[in-house]
Amino acid sequence: MTDTSHASPDEAASLIDRAGEQAPKMLEKIFAAAQPGAVFGQPVESGSYTLITASEVTSGGGFGVGMGRGPAPKPDARQSPPAEAAPPAGRQSIGGSGFGGGGGSMARPVAIIAIGPNGVTVRPVVDVTKVALAALTASAAMLGLGRAIRKAAKGKG
Amino acid sequence: MRSVMDRLGAREASAEPVTVDDITVMPRSRALLVRLPKGGLVWNRPTAVLVERDGQARRIPIIDVTRILQVSLLGLAVLMAAASASLFGSRHRTGGAA
Repeated sequence: MTDTSHASPDEAASLIDRAGEQAPKMLEKIFAAAQPGAVFGQPVESGSYTLITASEVTSGGGFGVGMGRGPAPKPDARQSPPAEAAPPAGRQSIGGSGFGGGGGSMARPVAIIAIGPNGVTVRPVVDVTKVALAALTASAAMLGLGRAIRKAAKGKG
Repeated sequence: MRSVMDRLGAREASAEPVTVDDITVMPRSRALLVRLPKGGLVWNRPTAVLVERDGQARRIPIIDVTRILQVSLLGLAVLMAAASASLFGSRHRTGGAA
């Protein structure tokens, strides 16, 4: 992230140009996750079996650029700024600009492809923690709803 | 509508085939791409494995068991909530009419 204060319009334009140069590189990295190579791992040999992992990959990101200009604040009479910090004569406005971005990716194993003497088998990978969390959330939601309905029924009765 | 379609895209692709003895395995994946003016999103998941052996091709689907269980639990919760709400609604109406 970059932030400039007292940036001239030329400096701001240069900053936006630099952001424009970085953006395609960042997008390229995000969209690299769309390649099949991101989903399937390299084959690994284990005994008489060759194993390939298959994962779900999610990747995303974004960036933003902004700039603005406004009137220079008037110097406060009580706190007189030092002479070197005073704005030059004729400079009526100040501005700033910045750019920033972020992104992330996530992968989750889905299955293992096993190539062995008996042929090819696809063994699913079950994430027990995720399933347990989903079950807990669903149970809690149902309990909460049941309690709310009982409370509403009591209120009406 | 067209701009939405331009921003959304699905791509199905095959990974490098792996050959072990007389078996050739070609994993396939499907990617969903969302292109935004200042960013993007990619969701890529494995779909199937194409197995070729002795000149015969076979397709083995890759099933995401974790996702199926998660969606099933969510669906069950929504169904039970809808059933409870409908039961409560009908009882309330019957009680009000009596």
